[in-house]
This record gives sequence, C-alpha cells and structure tokens, in this order.
Amino acid sequence: MSPIGESVLSRCKQRGAEDAELYLSRGTEFTVRVYKGEIESLVSAESRGIGLRTFREHRVGFSYTSDFEPDALDNLVDEALLNGRYNHADEANVLPEPRAVEPLAGLVSPALAGIDPQRKIDFALEMERRATSLDPRVRRVSDALYSDGSGQVEIYNSRGLQASFDRTVAYGVLETIAEQDAEMQSGFAFTHGRDMDQLDLAGVVQEAVENAAGLLGARPVPTASVPVVLHPHAAAMILGVLASSFSADAVIKGRSLLAGKIGEPVAAGIVTITDDARLPEGLASRPFDGEGVPAGRNELIAAGVLKGYLHNTYTAIRTKSQSTGSAVRSYKSVPEVGVSNLVLKPGELSRDALLARVSNGLHVSQLSGLNTVNPVSGEFSLGLAGHWIENGRLTRPVKELTVAGNVITLLKKVVAVANDLRFMFAGGFCGSPTVLIEELPVGGL
Amino acid sequence: MPLLDQSLVDSVIKRALRSGADFVELFVERKHNQSISVEESKVQRVSSGNDLGAGLRIIHHGTVSYVYTEDLSEDGLFKTADLAAAVGRRGGGRFALGAVSGTPRQPQRIEVPPDGVGPEAKIELLLEADQAARAVSGAIKQVAVGYGQSAQDVLVATSEGIHHADSRTRVRLMVHAVAERNGEIQTAMEAPGMQRGFEFFDDTSAAEYARAAAQRAVALLDAAPSPAGQMAVIIGNEFGGVLFHEACGHGLEADFVGKGSTVFTGKIGQVVASPIVTAIDDGTMPSRWGTLAVDDEGVPTRRNVLIQDGVLVSYMYDRLRAGQQNHPVTGNGRRQSYQHLPIPRMTNTFIAAGAHAVEDIIAATPSGLYAKKLGAGQVDVTTGDFVFAVTEGYLVEGGRIGRPVRGATIVGNGPRALHKIDMVGNDLKLAPGTCGKEGQGVPVSVGQPTIRISELTVGGTGVIPAGAMRQ
Repeated sequence: MSPIGESVLSRCKQRGAEDAELYLSRGTEFTVRVYKGEIESLVSAESRGIGLRTFREHRVGFSYTSDFEPDALDNLVDEALLNGRYNHADEANVLPEPRAVEPLAGLVSPALAGIDPQRKIDFALEMERRATSLDPRVRRVSDALYSDGSGQVEIYNSRGLQASFDRTVAYGVLETIAEQDAEMQSGFAFTHGRDMDQLDLAGVVQEAVENAAGLLGARPVPTASVPVVLHPHAAAMILGVLASSFSADAVIKGRSLLAGKIGEPVAAGIVTITDDARLPEGLASRPFDGEGVPAGRNELIAAGVLKGYLHNTYTAIRTKSQSTGSAVRSYKSVPEVGVSNLVLKPGELSRDALLARVSNGLHVSQLSGLNTVNPVSGEFSLGLAGHWIENGRLTRPVKELTVAGNVITLLKKVVAVANDLRFMFAGGFCGSPTVLIEELPVGGL
Repeated sequence: MPLLDQSLVDSVIKRALRSGADFVELFVERKHNQSISVEESKVQRVSSGNDLGAGLRIIHHGTVSYVYTEDLSEDGLFKTADLAAAVGRRGGGRFALGAVSGTPRQPQRIEVPPDGVGPEAKIELLLEADQAARAVSGAIKQVAVGYGQSAQDVLVATSEGIHHADSRTRVRLMVHAVAERNGEIQTAMEAPGMQRGFEFFDDTSAAEYARAAAQRAVALLDAAPSPAGQMAVIIGNEFGGVLFHEACGHGLEADFVGKGSTVFTGKIGQVVASPIVTAIDDGTMPSRWGTLAVDDEGVPTRRNVLIQDGVLVSYMYDRLRAGQQNHPVTGNGRRQSYQHLPIPRMTNTFIAAGAHAVEDIIAATPSGLYAKKLGAGQVDVTTGDFVFAVTEGYLVEGGRIGRPVRGATIVGNGPRALHKIDMVGNDLKLAPGTCGKEGQGVPVSVGQPTIRISELTVGGTGVIPAGAMRQ
C-alpha cells in the first residue's frame, strides 16, 4: 500500500471510523491543438487527487482533496467523518469484501511514454493539412487536436482491499468546415487508441471531411412515414440516452424507464445489449469498478428481453442482488452506478446489405436534441439530418427534419442490425452498428 | 490568507521566463465545495471537497504552452516552471496579448460565509422543501432536493507585473419533482442560485421553489401532446435566455469568430437582429452567477453591449484573441479550473428589456405556442441551428393561454430567429446555469424578458394528423 493510503486509513481508524475506503487517482496529460499550420496551444501536466469514504454506524461520509500536504490529508479525514454524521443510517452502506480481480490485458500501451512530443504535434498538423486538401469545399478546420494520457487508479479499504490498474489512451479530434455559396456545415470525427500509433489518421480525416461536405445543400423534405436507417454514431447516441435507465439506483429512485420490466420484452427480438467492462478496445474498460469489485460483462437485454440492471454494492444489498461491478466515479465523487462500454450486438448483415432493404427511406447521420429526451418517460422529439435513401443508395442530403416518439417504441421497431460496430462517447462509451427501424413518422416541410 | 507568497509567485514567473518566453502567467486556485442531497425524505449525502492547484501559461511568439500541478510547494512549482519551459515551442507568430485595463472592483461581499454555517441549517432547509413539494399532491411520487455551495479564491500574476485576485462564493438550491398518475410520469425542476452567502435564503424560500416544481410536474400530467409545425412561439423570460446564449452568444465568442467558424464573423456594424433586440454581456452585475471582479486572466470585467438595436456591436474576448484581433479586452477570459487554459466565455448574458407587458404579447398572438420554460438544448455553433425542449408549454389560441402541452421541442436557427423577434417584453429576469465549452464548465447567467418569435418550427409527439404524414 502507498504511504499515503496507509496513513489516511490509520487516521480514519483513530478518529473512530469503523471502515474506510481511499480512491487515489494520478494521471498525465499531453494535448496539442493546431490551427493554420501552427501550434495553437500545448498542454502538459501531471495531476492527482484522493477521494475518501468513511463508514460509522452505517453512515457514510465523503470528502476529496487534490492537496496532499499532511494537514490537508488530516482535514480530509475530519471532513469525511463530519459529513457522515449527518447522513441517514442505511444498512446497505457497507464496503464490499475484497475479491480476486482477474488482470485485464490491453489497457496500456507501454509505447506511449516513449513517443516524442514532436511526433504528436506533427500528427495534429498532418490531420489539419490533409483535411484541407481532400475536398475543394473543405478549406478550413475549426479544431484539430491530438491528446493522450496515462492514468492510474488505486483503491485501498479497511477490509484489506488493495487494487490498482493503469490505463493509457490517445485520441485525435477533427472538426472541419465545408462551404458552398453562403452555406456552412461543420463535420466532426475522432479516432482513438491506446497510443498515437494506433490512431487512424486517414480515417478521421476522411470522415470529418465527408461529414461536413456531405450535408452541403441539404434541404428539408415533406413529412412522410418511412423506414429510418441510423448511422452507428446516431444509434450509439440513442444507446447513451438509454444508459442511465439500466442503473439500479435509477430504478430504486423511480427514474428509469425500464423499472419493473425484468423478464419482459422491451425491444425487438433482434436487439441484444451488453455492458462489457472487459472489452480490450473499450475506452471505459477496467478490471474492477470504483469500489474495487471485479468488473465483467453484463447482458442487459437479450433477444429483446430485459435481463437485469447494473449494480454497485449499495443497490445490490438494497435489492438483494449482486454487485455487477458497475460503480463509476472519479476521486471527486462517491461510487454511483453507471455503464462501462455499452454495446448493441452487431448482426450478420453488411451495411450495404442492410441499406439494400430500403427502397425509399431516411438515413440519419446527425441527431440533435438528444439531451432533451426525458430519461424517465423516454419521450423524445429530435432534430434529424442525413440523406434520403433510394433503392438502397444514399442520395440527396436532407435536414431540418424532426421525429417524435418514445425510446422503448423505437427499440421495439428495430428490424435489422448490421455488422459495422462503431464506438463513441455518449453518456458512457457506447457502441452500435448501423440499425434499420421500420416506418417512423418523420416531420418535415 | 494569501493563496501563495508574493516572493514565491515572483520567483516562479522569473524561472519560467528563463526559457525565453515573451509572457508568463501564473494562475492559482483554491476552492472548497460542499453539497447536501435529500432523497426519499432522508439525508442521502453530505459531501465536501478541496481543490488546490496552479497553472502556468507561457507564450513564445504567439504559441501557448500550459502546465498545471497540484503541488504548490516551492519544489513543485519550480518543477512545473521547468516543464513549461521544456515543452514550450517557439511559434512563428506575432506576439500580442490584449493589455489589461481598468480597475478591479472589490470581490463580491458575502455577509454569511456558507462555510461558517453548519450542515444542520442547510438540512433543515432541504427537509422543509421536500415536505412542501410532497404536500402539493398525492401524485408527487419522488422528490430530490439538493444544496450546493462553493468558495473559490483565485490569483492571477503575470510577467507584466499584474497581480490580481478574486474571491467567488456561490450558493444554490436544486429541487426535482416527479409526478405519476396511471403510469404516466412527468418531472419538473427549479434551481435558483446567487453569488451570495447563506443570507441568500433570508429572502429565498426553498419551500416555495419546491412547491413550484411540484405543481408544474402535476400540471404536466394533464398536458396534451404538443402539436408540431411552424407557428409563432412566445418564449418565457429568465431561463428562456438559454436560447440566445446557446444559439447566438457562443457565435459571438472571439475564438470562434477568429476562425471564421460562426455566421457572425465579419458582421460588426451590420444588422444581425430585429431592431427591437439589444443584447448584453455584463460581468459586473452584483451577486449574479457569472459575475467576476476580474476574469481568470486578471482583467476587470465590464458591461459589454453585444447587439444594440439589432446592430452587432462587439464580440467577447480573452486576452489572446483581443491581441490577435486588435481589440480592447472585454473581461471574458475564463477557465473551469487551474487545469484549463482560459478561453473566451460569457458571464451574465441577456436580451435587454423591451416595451411590452407579457399579457399584451399573448393577447397579440392569434395562435401559437407559449414556451414558458425551456429545458435542455443542443446547438451547432457554426450554423446556429438549435433544438430545445420546452419543459412548460401552453397553446395560445385567440390571444389567450390555452391548454398545457408536453413533449414539445423548438427547432430553428439562432441568427435567423434573431430577425424574427417581433415583440420584446418588459419582464427581464436572469437565471443561473453552467455553460460547457471545450470540456470546460463555467458558471454563467442567462436571461431575457418574454419575447415572441414570429415563426419557428415546433416538434412534438402529438404530430401532424395522419393524413398529412403521407404528403
């Protein structure tokens, strides 16, 4: 155990805590933004922080600090214990017993530390240079950045838990501007990996350029009821909206649209959704959760039927079930319940084969207003942009369409899923293939 | 107690200057937070935290490098200065930063520092609010109430000899009510807050806000699905200003303008809105959520008119963009914490009050939607295209407020909507919020009087009659 862990836990005991848990995180960051062939800004840092939970008579106290001076650490203990005095006593407030954690390979690229910062700067510059030379309508980039970091999480508790893991991540973000006549469109794309050499430079450039240029000249279309194809990113964003409803905490508090539906069909039979914390490529992957409980793969919806919820130790005890290793947190917060890598299982169809099923319909590449979805009722009214589909091919760009409905109804209307799984950040690290939804009323002109 | 000893500040800056930098700035921050939440009528969580850290910005020929640390010992800061010097790259650009001008005001005066008030008084307030919300109706099934406070001290010192400090204390109440009847669920929330001490609650009744949220959630149970289509939309005052903030305000931030990525680029002096629209960003308003004595670059804040009678007058600048674009500073350089570079941000941004009483605006509207309260939204800064949820909405029929509607969203384009504002009310109010940009959240106020937009797209679940769907 680190000296800090030992001294904080021993002070907790001295001060009357029956149990205590220390969550320590450290990380490094390197970020470079470029603009017009020059570095716009460069950030390099190491950072750290501690979150402390104390337990006394089933009352939990929490406090955090980024100050590691001895008096600040003493104060951390005192504040946590004081805070705990006011919280209501709940027998479900206990620490998990230590369990063996299976190591998880693939979270770290040892190569990252050895990559010369100049190569990272060159990566960002090259992203910008290529993005402005691919399509005559895309001559400007509004954001081009490369960022990487390494992080370490350590958890110690008074039940004897000592666990830690390391993770590295690198990503490139590109936002382009396409112009034609007086019209502007922006296009966003990102690429990620465990180090810079795993990033897809050509792919991110092509996607950001196509996303911007592809929507130039988009027009509204008349209102119609048509089959709707969701691009993997659009579908992943809808998964992100659903994510909070899998939390047992949301279920207990009446804030989940999946409450009381275990064993019931909540989606079409073709829909299987898992939360998989052990996916090697998942940016949210981890061997254990924010309480040190081994994290695994949880099937949430299998063939359309709701199988279960995600739990931390508290919700598991309260509902007489098992923790699913789904405590998520930073050092600044207590362990809440949340998803890791949430995945809609891909099917067998290629994207082209899926599109071929649509003779007249809408392909949605951009969804707006997802944060307006009511997470309790599932009701939504979204803005859509994308392309019209004619005989299985994307044709003219369309925009300013709206679709209204309910997330559950939408899940029940899924008729096909392709095999082209893609990930993005959307209230978790969410992955989905292209999805075909049967007729939806799409509002337009 | 000063955040950092003056001689240590000076020696850290001197050390970073050894790299040959044109400019060095040290930002030091200490922040104490406390939050309390009550759910299921029980105190679920009292928590607190301390953030302490420093960020060092150095500029070489226009290229910015930034290094931050939580280690504020002399060793730790010297190490950070050396790292900043080592990672810094010399740019080919002209070095120009907007000069700091103006006299800093005194930090906001706090009568009752919330740190000095024990959790008991705060908990009492929350339990009272919880009971008040539950007493509204048997249909109220869940109530969550929360209290938050933060006290942030900042210090900005630069190699030009500037040495400014600010102290910002905020308190806020949050109430979330869930109503349920026959399987139908509706929610509503209220979240008042000010830059004041605990005296805020002398004239703010937590119970009243709780009742208001609960009443709205219950009223929504009777609301019919909103119709969809093009119509006149009246947008309520206070948080309704989020629409201007998101769909126009960001487009007036000088970093987007400098990259030409907003439709307002190059439009100073041009008509960008209807002549009855005046919009202002004012970082000096007493006690407001986004008020600062000095911004996070040490620039005294000021009142900046953005749009005067429909004509674009000014963008919002940080020092870097003011220098690049040869404009005086405006006091809009802000950052979430010592871990972030300052960028142009709004403070308290609002549409100025107009001539009309709200009743007159409604009476003058034969048919349309009264979007009394807006909720979450999303905006494309480049185009100004927006989508916002209407959390409290009513039909307007024959110049009168009609039945409540739910599930409505408004969809449109900010810059185009500015031209379509045809009535501005006299009931200007501001509301607190947290604005996100480039991963940095900062406290701001949004605000406006009641306004009418002559035509806007409304999306709703009560969509279009079936016949129209197959046009």
